Amino acid sequence: MSRFSKSLLVLALCGVSAGAFAVDKYSGVGRQATPAEVKAWDIDVRPDFKGLPKGSGNVERGNELFEEKCASCHGSFGESNEVFTPLAGGTTKDDIKTGRVKGLSSGELPQRTTFTKVATISTVFDYIQRAMPWTAPKSLKPDEVYAILAYLLNLQEIVPADFTLSDKNIGEVQKLLPNRNGMTTDHGMWPGASAAKGGIGNGGKPDVKNVACMKNCKTEVQIGSTLPEYARTAHGELADQNREFGAVRGTRTLGPEAAKKAADASTLDLATKSGCMACHGIKSKIVGPGYNEVVARYKDQTDAEDRLFAKIKAGGQGAWGSIPMPPNAHVKDEDIKTLVKWIMSGSK
Amino acid sequence: MGNPMKIRAANKDGVTEVKVLVSHEMETGQRKDSAGAIVPAWFITELIAKHNDKVVLASEFGPSVSKNPYLAFKFKGGAKGDKIVVSWKDNKGDTRTDEAAIG
Repeated sequence: MSRFSKSLLVLALCGVSAGAFAVDKYSGVGRQATPAEVKAWDIDVRPDFKGLPKGSGNVERGNELFEEKCASCHGSFGESNEVFTPLAGGTTKDDIKTGRVKGLSSGELPQRTTFTKVATISTVFDYIQRAMPWTAPKSLKPDEVYAILAYLLNLQEIVPADFTLSDKNIGEVQKLLPNRNGMTTDHGMWPGASAAKGGIGNGGKPDVKNVACMKNCKTEVQIGSTLPEYARTAHGELADQNREFGAVRGTRTLGPEAAKKAADASTLDLATKSGCMACHGIKSKIVGPGYNEVVARYKDQTDAEDRLFAKIKAGGQGAWGSIPMPPNAHVKDEDIKTLVKWIMSGSK
Repeated sequence: MGNPMKIRAANKDGVTEVKVLVSHEMETGQRKDSAGAIVPAWFITELIAKHNDKVVLASEFGPSVSKNPYLAFKFKGGAKGDKIVVSWKDNKGDTRTDEAAIG
């Protein structure tokens, strides 16, 4: 058993004992909860239907209620993906027979829904009763919960349109749930004994096995798979996108040369976006001079960058002929500086 | 034949809102299966909605529409109990018609 689940158990035991002895131990502090308080609090419905209130509701009534209270978030057919993930859809008639949603393992599902995942109908009942509608939880009467659940089951094509769901037949419906066999307790997060010893989990055995190698061990690490190049560079230089503190560093996806190229490419983007490239070519005259011509004229002048900055910002006419360059007040100062540096360094 | 559509039509202040959930694969013809073979295109090409016998919506669908498409529209002149008939046709020549009453 892992240390984690042990401490969970210890915590759980503490909780129980505190509940039992609190009144005796701290006289004058607190009081026993009244039976009515416990009843109001104890609303859970369990997979064996313990706690299920008596009542019934049909699909038609459920449709009305759903339209009134639920559809604004979930869509009329429980199909909406805008506020929450969809409630209905994604299962087939075969799934209802097998009790295991095939789309979950085949990857055919475009989107998981409540009914592709849920294994116990009591859970859905409990959740609607406990938490819905979002704005007024616990406001639904048991009959209303039955009706809404009947409507959902009808949307899922588990029950016919004239079906009435009640505490009597909900057990039958459980046997039709598309993913009823989809739940396993054979993993380590369940506390307590393993299923073989009367518990529910696997006794806290972790899902991963990190076995220490004792013989014939590998002498060096071999990388079994790598990202393809196009995927590796899809988001630019990852190392430059980290937060500036902490131990985790992104990998250098581009390498120093490629990184410079990417930075320059973004300057070209900036030049295009700022409208420069409409009149200036990198290596040719279009309306105004090419950047190579600009470099040729200004390269030996020490104050060239400042003068070019002023020219770009205010516009000008005469230096390169009679066609004027318009003022570029819309381009930010720092962007102009970046552009000037980029031009003077050869626009590469 | 395809699977049945789900249709809801509700009248409010003289405007009828119709919501339809169509059940259809809507394959684009661009997708490949696990063996690398192209999954043949299979999508709805047109969908028509009628109020009694009058066409209130005529639409052309295509491969860009999602699987199991959801459609909602409004029109004036419907009354409680009137019949709404929705029918679609797909590129394989399959058709399906379903109806509902305005509630």
